[in-house]
Amino acid sequence: MTTDAFDRDLRLAIYRTLVEDGRPPGAQELAVELEVSISHVDASLRRLADAHALVLQPGTSSIWMAAPFSAVPTPFEVSVGDRRYFANCIWDALGIPACLHEDARIDSSCPDCAEPLRLEVQDGTLREPADSVLHFAIPAARWWEDIGAT
Amino acid sequence: MLLFRSEEHVRRWADARGIPLGGTLTPEQGWRLADAWFHDRLELDWRRRTTEEAQALFRSIGLTGPFWQLA
Repeated sequence: MTTDAFDRDLRLAIYRTLVEDGRPPGAQELAVELEVSISHVDASLRRLADAHALVLQPGTSSIWMAAPFSAVPTPFEVSVGDRRYFANCIWDALGIPACLHEDARIDSSCPDCAEPLRLEVQDGTLREPADSVLHFAIPAARWWEDIGAT
Repeated sequence: MLLFRSEEHVRRWADARGIPLGGTLTPEQGWRLADAWFHDRLELDWRRRTTEEAQALFRSIGLTGPFWQLA
């Protein structure tokens, strides 16, 4: 199998676990599933991170973000049926129903006043959009300078 | 990328931190952006968009100007 093909399989294996369990798999888990060594998985994770296909916790091979999913709790909670996910930002929160092609409810809160805010996606459209606004603080050219802050 | 109650709340939040206002989208624009950006993320042959492709996608939903310039 080529490196590209393996990276593709690994990427999908990560998303399968994220979607089913709401958490990313560890390197050991991926190695068992794909029947390869951990060093093989680590190298693939690094390639995917270098290609900005996912983000690792600094200095580790633990997955932090596989957009639109976050491995850690965030202020962007997405409910899809009885599954619950966390997204990295409000763009990613909307990206969860987009990539799953399912209805979803997004719960967040206003960073200024802490009022709870909810967006709902149903049948591929935003349902009665709430009176709210998305704000991008960092210009697009600088998003990857510090993706955690973005 | 955060969700605010209104533009007024964005301004107050930015003023309190001494940071300039960035780019704002309506929820509908945000959904169109997210749908276009993420709809194929779980497909086997997904690949990262080139800068040109991403810029064209931004343009298609009205995100133009220096703030949305990727390179």
